[in-house]
Amino acid sequence: MLVLTRRTGEKIKIGDNIVVTVLSVEGGIVKIGIDAPRKINILRMEVLEQIQKENIDAAAKDVTDMAEVVEFFKRKLSGEKED
Amino acid sequence: MKIMTRKFGEIEIDKKKILVMPEGLPGFPGFERFILLEDPKSAPFCWFQSIEEANLALVVMNPLFFKPDYQLDLQTLIAGRDWKNVKQEELLIFVVINIKEGDPKNKITANLMGPLICNLENNEVVQIALCDSDYSHQYDVLEAISNKET
Repeated sequence: MLVLTRRTGEKIKIGDNIVVTVLSVEGGIVKIGIDAPRKINILRMEVLEQIQKENIDAAAKDVTDMAEVVEFFKRKLSGEKED
Repeated sequence: MKIMTRKFGEIEIDKKKILVMPEGLPGFPGFERFILLEDPKSAPFCWFQSIEEANLALVVMNPLFFKPDYQLDLQTLIAGRDWKNVKQEELLIFVVINIKEGDPKNKITANLMGPLICNLENNEVVQIALCDSDYSHQYDVLEAISNKET
């Protein structure tokens, strides 16, 4: 991993058209500004990790017999109360 | 062509309906080709089934069934993927459904933070991540439909 030290207001250029600016550093929180073309996907890593985890969890479920779940869902959707 | 599926065993599918995930399915690197399977008995639940691996299938659903006000801005995706001639309203949207066993019985959550966006114009599907939205990755589906105004 490339490690660079930057001060508030300093920038890093990545490739032809991405510029990362350190906007502020306060109490362990770094505020970063990113200028990049609209088509570049920028994500907080933990968001991607949550999506991966949900996919893996969902795929691990036994979904071969859905009859009961479907029935339950439809009853709820039609507004039937449980009591 | 014939494929093996997790839910329906061996079935015949139309090659033209195969969907490709050019950016892959997060959590399952290496699997790129899928098909959306519907079964009237299980509607509106559908299966997003891998072509390559029979055991890889996710339950998915159109979120509008339980979250009618679900809204996305897909302009960045459309520009980024270079999807020409496609309007946002022509894209199909599905969310991954997670059915949890145990108590409370039949807890169903939906990942509203990572919807699957399907472009039927070129059969591409991308699972996007909504970074700056308030949508939950574990949205409680049953609570949402129980509390809806009727």
